[in-house]
Amino acid sequence: MNTNNHKTKPIISLKNVSKSFQGRKTIDNVSLDIFPGETFVIMGCSGSGKSTLLRLMTGAIKPDKGSVTIKDKDITKASPQELDEVRKGFGMLFQYSALLDSLSVEENVALPLREHTKLADEIIKIIIKMKLSLLGLKGFEQYYPSQISGGMRKRVGLARAIALDPDIVFYDEPTSGLDPVVGGVIDKLIKDLSVKLMITSVVVTHDMQSVFEIADRVAMIHKGSIVEVGASKDIKNSKNDYIQQFINAKPEGPIDFFKEDIGIIEALGL
Amino acid sequence: MISGIGSIFIGYLKWTKDVCAFFFDILYWIVVGPFKGKLSRRQSIFQQMVFVGISSIVIVFFVDIFTGIVLTMQTAYQLEKMGAVLYVASLVAVALCRELSPVLTALVVAGRSGSAIAAELGTMKVTEQIEALETMAINPTRFLAVPRFLALLVMLPALTILGNLSGMLGGFLMGTKSLNINPDLYMQTAFKYLELGDIYTGLVKSVVFAVIIATIGCFEGLNTKGGAEGVGKAATRSVVMSFILIILADCIVTGIFYFSKI
Repeated sequence: MNTNNHKTKPIISLKNVSKSFQGRKTIDNVSLDIFPGETFVIMGCSGSGKSTLLRLMTGAIKPDKGSVTIKDKDITKASPQELDEVRKGFGMLFQYSALLDSLSVEENVALPLREHTKLADEIIKIIIKMKLSLLGLKGFEQYYPSQISGGMRKRVGLARAIALDPDIVFYDEPTSGLDPVVGGVIDKLIKDLSVKLMITSVVVTHDMQSVFEIADRVAMIHKGSIVEVGASKDIKNSKNDYIQQFINAKPEGPIDFFKEDIGIIEALGL
Repeated sequence: MISGIGSIFIGYLKWTKDVCAFFFDILYWIVVGPFKGKLSRRQSIFQQMVFVGISSIVIVFFVDIFTGIVLTMQTAYQLEKMGAVLYVASLVAVALCRELSPVLTALVVAGRSGSAIAAELGTMKVTEQIEALETMAINPTRFLAVPRFLALLVMLPALTILGNLSGMLGGFLMGTKSLNINPDLYMQTAFKYLELGDIYTGLVKSVVFAVIIATIGCFEGLNTKGGAEGVGKAATRSVVMSFILIILADCIVTGIFYFSKI
């Protein structure tokens, strides 16, 4: 279901996408359009399929059915070389940052620049300094990921994601595992990047405070299907029982935790 | 029962096919990569050379020197009966250079560095670092496997030469101190029968073993599934499969040299 009123062409478009793992349908016939410059949040319970949806958008996995188009390129039909070209146009912040342990903060952020540009090392160092300053990490260039806090690792991950000045940044649970203050800092950074650099942000989260803080539009996903898509305000005031149960964190409602569990056990054949 | 054996056999066939495909992928990036402007980072290759080579010097030295000593004692035990103790020197030198030093060095490096490569890449896989590389349009085979492959290809033959020398030193010490062979005579006899071909065949073997250790270590690491348990399994599997294939390859290469009279 798509309730957007945009007139511009979508930058990311999913059409009837389905994906199963070991016979269990994780994504079921999902269609979505995400427009340039917006911050689009995908929310849902753990195991609802939101991270799978994100991985389908980044080309990390291929759908069983349907198409995923990024900037007019259907990545489900793209060759590895074509997929790499599309990937150079977006960045991604992983749930646990996924920084390379063997590289320093500076080397991590420099990696996409050294791999995909022919810039001189001096220029790359200046760019890194700018990116790290933007994220409040000046002076930490020579530290290794194991020497900095979780919040700082997320910010380094974000600096790496925007190193090539991408049009799109994907965020997988950007505030999970962080204290509320650091989570708020990350939310502010996501918002700032969208506004200042005109980046399209696709955020997967179940942190409700974060959702309404940063989102222009929100999609609620449950059992691999989109329940509702709409503007942040509309979703907040939605009459949909699933959404109300989810945003108000009620244990009782149509999302039955215990039934979900039984479903998983049956799917695993236990 | 039969279906169980069949599925294990099919599993190994699939594994062999995947490892071969991975090996050709590594070759592709070594040969074609530079023409595409995608060179492996020199710094990364040197780091790996230090890790797999320099850091293995002590263990290789000790393993081979003790092997040289043991080999000298065992062959002296046989040759004494024939009154040919002097020939211990040449027998030890040839056996070490053609066979023992390349194989033992490879087994030591497979246990030390091959498992560490699998564990390191496996940890990178389960902590999404490999997926992060792919998302940044950086090929993990080129970025991670090629430097380790090239480092092993250079360092294993170098370690084998060190193994040859330390094994012969062990033999020399044992022969001159315990068997009372004159040091000059020991050296003359050792090098009289040791031909350049003996050293070459050992080095050719070590190159084959390097290919096996690097390919399997990287393959198992990059195909790790699950969490910490998966990393442990990948490291164990890389050592087990490397050991089996090193011995198998040794058998095949020795056969080729033997029947072609090299």
